[in-house]
Amino acid sequence: MKYYAPLLFIILLSLFSQAIFAKEKLPKGLIHLDNRQAPPLVLKDMDGGDFDLANLRGKWVFVHFWATWCGPCRKEIPTIQKILEDFKDSHLEFAIINTAESEDLIFEFLGIVAPDIVPLMDNDGLVTEHWQPRGLPATFFVDPNGKLRYLALGGRPWDEALYKNFLSSLK
Amino acid sequence: MQKPATPITHRRYKYHHHRFPVFSFALLFCFLFCSPLLAVEKTASKKKENTYEDSEIYLRTVYRSPEQLAAFYEGREFPQEAIKRITQSCYFTIILKNKTDDILWLEIDNWQFSANSAQNNQIIQRYNRAYWNKQWDEINLKQAFRSTFGWTLMPDVRDLRAGEGVGGSIPIPMQTDKFSVTLNFATGKDKKGKMKSVTLPNIQCKQDEK
Repeated sequence: MKYYAPLLFIILLSLFSQAIFAKEKLPKGLIHLDNRQAPPLVLKDMDGGDFDLANLRGKWVFVHFWATWCGPCRKEIPTIQKILEDFKDSHLEFAIINTAESEDLIFEFLGIVAPDIVPLMDNDGLVTEHWQPRGLPATFFVDPNGKLRYLALGGRPWDEALYKNFLSSLK
Repeated sequence: MQKPATPITHRRYKYHHHRFPVFSFALLFCFLFCSPLLAVEKTASKKKENTYEDSEIYLRTVYRSPEQLAAFYEGREFPQEAIKRITQSCYFTIILKNKTDDILWLEIDNWQFSANSAQNNQIIQRYNRAYWNKQWDEINLKQAFRSTFGWTLMPDVRDLRAGEGVGGSIPIPMQTDKFSVTLNFATGKDKKGKMKSVTLPNIQCKQDEK
């Protein structure tokens, strides 16, 4: 038994460190935020429906800011469209906010590349400015307590396994 | 007695047999020395057109003519009065990426725009956000357009994380001559790391094609 004790210790240590690193390690381009309270997010969607972030307590929320004129946004939006179905009725909700563009421009773009996305309309861009993203696109992760937990820097390929696993791990 | 001709295969064999060490050494030499040299070449400053890259930073400049600018903002449904004011400026876009593992501070106030032809390196003042707010107040531009325009500008300050990129337009008064931009970056979380400085020479405002 005494021969197995060091081995057992090493295995336990390895499992323990993996658990710690798994918690801390984020996919490329994601950073931790300081857990401050998320700013209010009350908007209407393109179909006229009401949205209030405060109503989504208990769930993680993928808060994404974008515009049609922004190159990286155009590349990223189809990857969001691809994962919507995967996370339907799950622990994760999506708030896809267009920054200060007209319905025509948005419809023309989304109709082709992401028809399932019904964006929230930040008509004057002031909600976006209040959230202070580091440029467009930007994705914030709001935890079930309404705190800002992570931020994705720039556009990310959300439909890739690494990012999908991360989204699934948000519990 | 005539000596029988050496079979070609044999000659080849002999040739290879004789030269083999030379080629081997050449290959080995190349493997040992050329590869590291190529690697150094990759990390050293590269001078592609409109691009600068070294081991710490990647920079690319994109120039837009007044016509191209007008097309962009017309496409975004901006009013003509706003487009007129925008196209009176010289625009260039800088796309940069922090290639270090540390924070690289983008602070445009620390960048210097200098006219090449002028005496004593005359400084060119860029049109900052306060300038544009004044322009938009004068024509009572709707908030949505102000917001869109604001997002197309290079951010004034950004603590660029490892691997993070940023891009945006920098408007300055229209220049007929070439000018240069010296980009200075503080580094490190508390800005106490070594300063990084890159000069982009011979920048020219893009004019409409006649």
